[in-house]
Amino acid sequence: MGDLRAHSYLKIILLFGLALPLQLLASEAYQLLRGDPAGYAAVVPGKALKFPEDHLPHPDYRIEWWYLTANLIDASGAHYDVHWTLFRQSMSPLADPGGWSSNQVWMAHAALSTPEGHVYKQQFARGGIGQAGVEWTTTNKVTANPESTTATNSPDQFQAWLDNGMLKGQGSSPLPGQLSFTVEDFEVSLNLNVATPWVLQGDAGYSRKSNMGQASYYYSQPHITITGEVTRNQQTTNLTGQGWLDREWSSQPLAPNQPGWDWLSVHLDDGHALMVYRLRQDNGEDWISGSWITPEGQTTSLNKSDIVFQPIRHTTLKTGTNTHHKLPLHWRVALPGLGLSWTVAPRSEDHWLNTAFPYWEGPVTLEGTMAGQGFLELTGYPESQ
Amino acid sequence: MKRQFKQTIWVFVTLISHYRRHPGQALTMALGLISGVALWAAVQLINDHARSSYAEADQLLGAEARYWIRSDNSLGVAVADYVDLRRAGFEQLYPVIETQVRDAQGRSVAIIATDLLALPVGSGIGSNARYSNPFGASSWLALIQADYQAWYPQSLATQLGIEPGQRLILASGEHLPPALIQTQTQQGQRVFMDIAAAMAILGTDTFSYLGVGRLSESEQLRLAALLPATLTLVTNHQALDLAQVTESLHTHLTALGLLSFAVGLFIVFNAVRFSLLARQGTLTTLREMGVSLGMLSIAIIAESLLWTLFGTSLGLVSGYALSQLLLPAMAMSLQSLYAAELGTLIGIRPEQVLQAFGLSLAGVVLALTLPLWLRARESIRRQRDTTAQWQQDQRGIGWMALVAMGLLGLAAALYPWMASIEQGFLILALVMFGGALLLPWLVLSLIETCARLLPKQQWLLRWAVSDALAQLPHLRIALMALLLTLTANIGVTTLVDSFRTALGDWLETRLAADIYVQSESLDIEAVKQVAWLSGYSPRIGVDLRWQNRPTSIRGLDLNAPDTVGMVLAQDQGVQNQQAQDQARQAWRAGDSSVIPILANEQVRYLAHTPLGSMIELPTPTGLRRFKIIGYVHDYGNSSLAFYLPGETVMALWPAAELLGAGLWLSDPAAQIDPDWLSSRLSALGVKPGQWVRQGEIKRLSFAIFDRTFAITATLNTLTLLVAGLSLLTALLAVHQQRLPEYAHWRSMGVNFSQWLQIVALPLLLMLAVTLLLSLPLGFSLSWLLINKLNVIAFGWTMPLLWSWWPLAKLGILTLGIVLTTLTVSVVRVRQTLPTAIQQLAGDSG
Repeated sequence: MGDLRAHSYLKIILLFGLALPLQLLASEAYQLLRGDPAGYAAVVPGKALKFPEDHLPHPDYRIEWWYLTANLIDASGAHYDVHWTLFRQSMSPLADPGGWSSNQVWMAHAALSTPEGHVYKQQFARGGIGQAGVEWTTTNKVTANPESTTATNSPDQFQAWLDNGMLKGQGSSPLPGQLSFTVEDFEVSLNLNVATPWVLQGDAGYSRKSNMGQASYYYSQPHITITGEVTRNQQTTNLTGQGWLDREWSSQPLAPNQPGWDWLSVHLDDGHALMVYRLRQDNGEDWISGSWITPEGQTTSLNKSDIVFQPIRHTTLKTGTNTHHKLPLHWRVALPGLGLSWTVAPRSEDHWLNTAFPYWEGPVTLEGTMAGQGFLELTGYPESQ
Repeated sequence: MKRQFKQTIWVFVTLISHYRRHPGQALTMALGLISGVALWAAVQLINDHARSSYAEADQLLGAEARYWIRSDNSLGVAVADYVDLRRAGFEQLYPVIETQVRDAQGRSVAIIATDLLALPVGSGIGSNARYSNPFGASSWLALIQADYQAWYPQSLATQLGIEPGQRLILASGEHLPPALIQTQTQQGQRVFMDIAAAMAILGTDTFSYLGVGRLSESEQLRLAALLPATLTLVTNHQALDLAQVTESLHTHLTALGLLSFAVGLFIVFNAVRFSLLARQGTLTTLREMGVSLGMLSIAIIAESLLWTLFGTSLGLVSGYALSQLLLPAMAMSLQSLYAAELGTLIGIRPEQVLQAFGLSLAGVVLALTLPLWLRARESIRRQRDTTAQWQQDQRGIGWMALVAMGLLGLAAALYPWMASIEQGFLILALVMFGGALLLPWLVLSLIETCARLLPKQQWLLRWAVSDALAQLPHLRIALMALLLTLTANIGVTTLVDSFRTALGDWLETRLAADIYVQSESLDIEAVKQVAWLSGYSPRIGVDLRWQNRPTSIRGLDLNAPDTVGMVLAQDQGVQNQQAQDQARQAWRAGDSSVIPILANEQVRYLAHTPLGSMIELPTPTGLRRFKIIGYVHDYGNSSLAFYLPGETVMALWPAAELLGAGLWLSDPAAQIDPDWLSSRLSALGVKPGQWVRQGEIKRLSFAIFDRTFAITATLNTLTLLVAGLSLLTALLAVHQQRLPEYAHWRSMGVNFSQWLQIVALPLLLMLAVTLLLSLPLGFSLSWLLINKLNVIAFGWTMPLLWSWWPLAKLGILTLGIVLTTLTVSVVRVRQTLPTAIQQLAGDSG
């Protein structure tokens, strides 16, 4: 998805507490996603994104996220994969009164794959009280000289956090920056560095989701180089690798006939990056879109005619005590115009997130024209019998 | 083998067919069993439910609460401190506001609030566990956004008269959010709302405390290091404490439940007795036809099992319904007395069904199987011999009297060793059943004496007296059941009356001030200056643990009017006025080495610390020694409490804080004007809702008291009704059986009023003996309850107050029940007598 981290919509909409059996939840939640965006700001083409301001929340839009995935390895080459997301939701289209009356709700997902397995957590927080938020903070820096304790204000610093999970920019932009969070007894701390510009997805950041007007504002940083560490029981493992950050906000992201989506983001060994997604549509005509990004950050938007994005086979996973899901974990991806073609396979099948609204999100490897790795996200699949 | 089986079935059907011919007896047996099991099950279900709720006391609103983070001053926990701790990675922390407010009508309403978004429910998910949605299956957007929602359990809404959508108005003038009939886990009888709503309504910007889930050892150290100096991490002992302090209460209730079951069994006994008389012939005939004792036994066992199944299932269903009716009152009481929260839904577990089945089986075996089997075993010759039966009955009464004496003697012998509440109830049961078994013998002796003393001319009276001999065997079990319930009623009524009076007297001395203020913002210096106050009594205190129980230390102002006239509990060491004065003097003067201290009675009886004991209490500088020189009554408190002069408390526990104050008005009449008071109090820093008039506290205390004993009163009344029912069925049966006899009398020329005298006089005579015997038994019971069981259970002493008026009411009620019963049975006889006379005529013709 990048584009359509729509499972996030669903989870946030769960905040509305639907008194329905879980099977119905998905469809009902989708129904709400297609809900009337009246009162909220509309996503319209032609709006120029402005940085660093657009790194901050857009509370007049219903929903928004800061979404980071990373494929990392330790010194021995063992894989560690990270996925950290902060979601924002406006509970009403009225202006945010702030404080305890704030109408902003936050949700964070944090997940870590290690050679031993996959751990994750989900958290919620209300806005307005400082427990979660995205803002520029003016930090006081005490000068090194102990004789003079004069404090100087540093430039505004970007912070996105919920509890102790935090993405902190070195300046007013989230990147370069630092990501730190804990999940179970793991402590993750990553330094995120970038050398290429932000990539505006779709049409200069206007990302169409259907031919019925649904859209979002969407930009990414596909080329994040990462060094960092994960600590557990006082044992620290040093990590290096690549990451991808997505930023997206909207008020009505889904069309009435779209039950779910599949999304893939990839770093190729030659330095290129690829993002493709498909919104599955009831009439069988999937909405497919993507982008091809050079190592320098130059992007080419791809549309349906440029992309082959097809499941090779479906795998039935045990996703709960009594639940199973049949999921397309293996894919064929090709860009015929560029003469490129790959097969995609999961690094491990065990990446089901049994969160309030469950989904599959995990690291994948690519074989084909050139090798690569990335993240695959599958949402909106019904429980199989 | 097959033939034998068929034969057994045939025997069984023959036995059972009895109930087809006598549906009244079947109905009585069913009533006895069902009401017995139902009353017992209701109490048991409530008890088990309460206990499992206590076990959940290490949880709060569905989240774990292994620890609390509390403020050392009464300012509460600041939002910024909480957010800092969350951002430091302590996701197992959540904010709570828990308070009592009063509504516009002066009723006390408990409020609990948290931030459902932050509540760590279902944290620590594994890759296989489905993440539980913290927001439950209900719409909670409205809960966390203005106008917010206030969630009420149905019972609380009913009690407060709140309809969905309504807003409860508080004494402070604030409105609670619109009501919703809905509950959050472990909400209890409290109003639940979002913490933002609670902060706005209560006008506070701090939390009452933070709940803390599981912490590893290293996390605990890290948290302790991070906590601001004003906050403390406290271990949650509530589950253990609750189980401890409420144990006696539940034993008490169990005893009441068992009593109800026993009364139910009496009815079964009663029914079986009549069914035995009617089935005698069947049993004998079956034996004469060569049916073996073994086969008969199997049939009897089958019948018993059938009855047990029937009684258990219907009894459980009715018991469950009854428990639902009694639960809200019980939950409110537990909340007021022990701050224990009970869930609103009672569940039945398989163990409870088994227990009920076991109890009901034991009852049926005792009341039905055994007598039936004994009768079946008797030799055929004896079964046809009525004289032998009559002799056996007389001997039986003699034996019962002997057993009664044995039981009473055993009770007397055990009495000096009584130490636990269970032993107390054992002695109580011995006295009650001893008394009940003695009753038939007393009645018999009285009848025999009357028969000897009545002159020969009084033929009608002599006839009536000798008719008593004929009625006694049939009525004696019903009379015994009546005696038991009367005794229980007298005992409990006296207990409740004595307690209520003692509570009233105590509140009178304890609540001497006109106004009570509970506010950390009270400006005590300003209080000293204002002219409209004639006196004040500030209270400071700290809470700690002593003997592993929650214990409060309270510092009193030596010059406050209520401290000067403080009344000490009567005790061996502090009996008269002079001793009281001496103890007070010593306490006021203090001592530098061993400090004299006053304690509440709970310290004496629950913590077993006699007068003059040296005790050690933890202070920030280490353990300090104190000597207990007196006790004060402290009804309704479940914790231990010690009292010292305020200055001593400040010196020993510098963290002690102002808890509140009593204020005396220069012109007590001024309090009638609430605006006048409110404006003056707010000038002293007291917000609306933080003060209460003395009269309101008293009213509230009595309301809590009455609610606490409501369940006892209900059980008592139900038991009395069951006993009345038992008497009615016995009378109906006895008259039904004697109809041919009455027909004879009628044909001999006995008119209706003579017949009524012959039949009613013995009944009234037997009733008089029962009522008279219930007085000494009831007195013993109340004496045991007040002076022994109550002290062991709650640590409260009070004088026994014997008052005749409630007893007279009980007597009149009983007489009413008996007269109604008599009337019903007389009407039945009048209706059926003509047929009986015709039958008689037919027989002789």
